Amino acid sequence: MKEFELEPGEHVVKEVRKHWFLFLGELLPFAILIVLPFALPKILVLAPPLAKYAMVFDYQTPLMRAALGVWLLIMWTSAWGAFTRYFLNAWILTNKRIATIKQRRFFYREVSSLLLPRVQDVTTNVTGIVSSLLGIGDIKVQSAGADVEFTMRGISHPEQMRDIILKYVSAKPETTGV
Amino acid sequence: MPDQPLQPFAPPVALLQYLPGGFSSGIAVTWILYAVFAFWAIYTLVAIYHWLAYSHASWVAFPAMATHILVSLALMSYALNGQAFFLSNYLP
Repeated sequence: MKEFELEPGEHVVKEVRKHWFLFLGELLPFAILIVLPFALPKILVLAPPLAKYAMVFDYQTPLMRAALGVWLLIMWTSAWGAFTRYFLNAWILTNKRIATIKQRRFFYREVSSLLLPRVQDVTTNVTGIVSSLLGIGDIKVQSAGADVEFTMRGISHPEQMRDIILKYVSAKPETTGV
Repeated sequence: MPDQPLQPFAPPVALLQYLPGGFSSGIAVTWILYAVFAFWAIYTLVAIYHWLAYSHASWVAFPAMATHILVSLALMSYALNGQAFFLSNYLP
């Protein structure tokens, strides 16, 4: 935890990530590409002019087996990389601030913090049938400053997060330090 | 709309016969496998570094890394000698 250290007396209240359903959507292309080498011979057989090419996909031969193994390895590693990025993107609410961590790609990371006393407005947005059924939405936090705005898209139950943020924003600070 | 029949194309296996002299298909496949495995190793090291540095000591980190390495090693083994260990039931 290099760039996000808790201060004395600070504790994590809630940590949220993008909804799992949206993550599954990101995995869908990998799932299709993984199934492709198994489905292609069966699809080719259905088209008579191309049926003879179905026998190319004979995975009992060492070369095709190696090709299949490499293909699956690339797809698996890519999907795992997507999971890594999904997990490293997070919103962390503590009793003192909100921190957003955006891992756009490897070695490209943005971390921002907003102190709770500076929060002025919290807006949630849930649009669409699937989003309403699964409780997927966006949350936008605006500060008292000029143009500071935190937005997290596609989180689970944003209204619960909003209530928790407002609860901690309205809570009386433990010590003023004055 | 073209009325010519589809022209057959050379499958990937047949292309290996066009390799220059002294460079067998076995050597080509070996080097391709080396390149893929080297890329996998670098990518995995980078991802593991991110897990260890930025996952906030989450309990998910080590199972995620272990799963990735186990599945990857099984797939590598399958590519090399057809032995996929715990994935054998799912692969031809």
